[in-house]
Amino acid sequence: MMIHSIRWRLQAWHGFILVLVLAGFGFAAYQASRDNQFRRVDQELEREWVFAFRPGPPGRPPSGPERDMSRGSEPGEPSEFRLNRRLAMDPEAGAMDERNPFYYILWQADGTVTARSQGAPADIPPRPQRDGLGGRPLQRPAQPNIDGLPPTRRMPREIRTRGEFRELWRFTPQGGCALVGRSMASELAALRRLALELCSAGTAILVLGLAGGWWLATRAIRPIDDISDTAMKIAAGDLSQRISAADTESELGRLVHVLNSTFNRLEAAFAQQARFVSDASHELRTPVTVILSQTQTTLARERPGAEYREALEACQRAAQRMRKLTESLLELARLDRGLQPPNCKKIDLAQIAKECADLLRPLAAEKRVQIEWDAPSLPCSGDAERLGQVVTNLLTNAIQFNSTGGEVRITGAASEGLVCLTVADTGIGIASEDIPHIFERFYRGDKSRSGTQGHTGLGLAISKSIVEAHGGRLEVTSQPGAGATFTIKLPLET
Amino acid sequence: MRVLVVEDEPDLLASLLKAVREDGYAADGAADGEEGLFKAESSEYDAILLDVMLPRMNGWDVLRKLRASRKTPVLMLTARDAIQDRVRGLDTGADDYLVKPFDLDELLARLRALIRRAASQGQPAIEIGPLIIDTVARTVSLRGNPVILTAREYALLEFLALHRGKVVTRTMLYEHLFDENDSTLSNLLDVHVSNIRKKLGHDFITTRRGHGYCIETGK
Repeated sequence: MMIHSIRWRLQAWHGFILVLVLAGFGFAAYQASRDNQFRRVDQELEREWVFAFRPGPPGRPPSGPERDMSRGSEPGEPSEFRLNRRLAMDPEAGAMDERNPFYYILWQADGTVTARSQGAPADIPPRPQRDGLGGRPLQRPAQPNIDGLPPTRRMPREIRTRGEFRELWRFTPQGGCALVGRSMASELAALRRLALELCSAGTAILVLGLAGGWWLATRAIRPIDDISDTAMKIAAGDLSQRISAADTESELGRLVHVLNSTFNRLEAAFAQQARFVSDASHELRTPVTVILSQTQTTLARERPGAEYREALEACQRAAQRMRKLTESLLELARLDRGLQPPNCKKIDLAQIAKECADLLRPLAAEKRVQIEWDAPSLPCSGDAERLGQVVTNLLTNAIQFNSTGGEVRITGAASEGLVCLTVADTGIGIASEDIPHIFERFYRGDKSRSGTQGHTGLGLAISKSIVEAHGGRLEVTSQPGAGATFTIKLPLET
Repeated sequence: MRVLVVEDEPDLLASLLKAVREDGYAADGAADGEEGLFKAESSEYDAILLDVMLPRMNGWDVLRKLRASRKTPVLMLTARDAIQDRVRGLDTGADDYLVKPFDLDELLARLRALIRRAASQGQPAIEIGPLIIDTVARTVSLRGNPVILTAREYALLEFLALHRGKVVTRTMLYEHLFDENDSTLSNLLDVHVSNIRKKLGHDFITTRRGHGYCIETGK
């Protein structure tokens, strides 16, 4: 599991790339340095060769090569080499000391060694075969870039590395051969030291790089760890937890913001749900208590039939209240699921309101409340039955919470793409602290206002949900003591 | 014993009053907070059953205002059963707390316990010499033999027994044994007292002329 974590994978890739880069760089640096060293040594060898050898026979006149020379060699091309006289007479020359690390060997065409410096390796390097020199033709065509060279340097040249020695030799066309060599011990040691230094420096950089990478990965991943820690706590049931985001502009900051707002909505939904369940059970408890206490009291002893009847009637009232409550709860649950009103048609909201008002006239007369009517046609689209339920609810409230002898005024207006139906009463109004909560489920402000029995406390919540399901709004304004005004606003249907 | 029931649901109020009366209490009802507070302050109740959600004045306010002048035992009735609601109820001065829906037997048992506690009577049975009053079963026995008393007689005896050693005035007896609907005919008490004396012995209840009645502790 650990190996599959993002941090470990980042680290592995980081290490892999770092090793590749370091190895490539180290190898290139080593190669460059090595080439440089060899080029320098080769130049020294060339200089030394030119200094050490001169064209011409080493004393006695050559026999064979003269013929060869006359046959085709360029004029001035030597048939033999000879050692520089200064070197030949200097006993120190070729001793391979610190002042002069070179050694010389001179072969005659017949293979005999005619000169050999003191410091030359004990095992005389085998004389290279002319044919073994890459099969280069001995009679080379004249090349412009060698025209200016002295004759000796026009001879075919070969450089080889033998063990720790670097050797340069030239051949005469007749087979004579002159070699200058040099020990590469110090250069090779320097190269080995360089390799070692590159390796240790590379390792150090790798370790530092990996440590830095680990630190960076940890830093980059820490917010993710925070997020998952908090999310885990939230998953464990603590919905009040939030992820702290220091930097809201970064990619993670935006993620944190999105997650937090999701958690907010989740918590609010849970709180609403919990409150709703608690309120619903609270509302159901009263009728259950009535039934329980009625039945227990009545069954405690034998009674005349009329008392049983009374108790049963009380139980029936309680049961009907529960039925109304459960129906309201189910309706709210349906509306919460966001179902579209199933029966959307072109309707006239004013007509619906008029029908509802006519049905409620007996109730209004009971309270001696006057219903005033003044509304033009209000065409809109919706479910006539549901919207009728809303209007009935508003009118019932307006009548019941009205003062005796008061009036309910229904007015309508259509403008700016909206139809508005207003129900205003002349009752005691709604206290300003209750206004924001008036549409909440089971919310009851002053009990004296909702003193009427048979109210579930869900009527306005259901009305609001229905209006909103139609794409409209239900609004309320109230002056305490001067009545309340509810307004249904729906999109105008033309 | 006289009990006040404050409850806004009429069916519940009716059945509670019926149950309490049938258990031998005098009982009055109030349908809202203001009426409840008025009655609780103007009469001597032995216990009050108080609903929390009440019109006009909620149960908490009734309790708070009542506690300013009276220490009548109060049993709160509520549909809210969250811990903080119970704590709030008890902290405001309620003596007990019962969550709706409740069992009637439990309600009556708690009511008895409240009244017993208010009279500093720990035991449910009261022993006065050879007489044992079982306040749970509401029975009386004299030297092991059961004595049959009417509900009123029993209530009178129990009240005097709970206040034994003290003189109980006729006003107190009227306050605690009769509800607001009973007519307070002055000789009703004397009839009950004489009936109890016939059943338990003539000198069991002494009359303090001009003051009231008393059960002596030495008996």
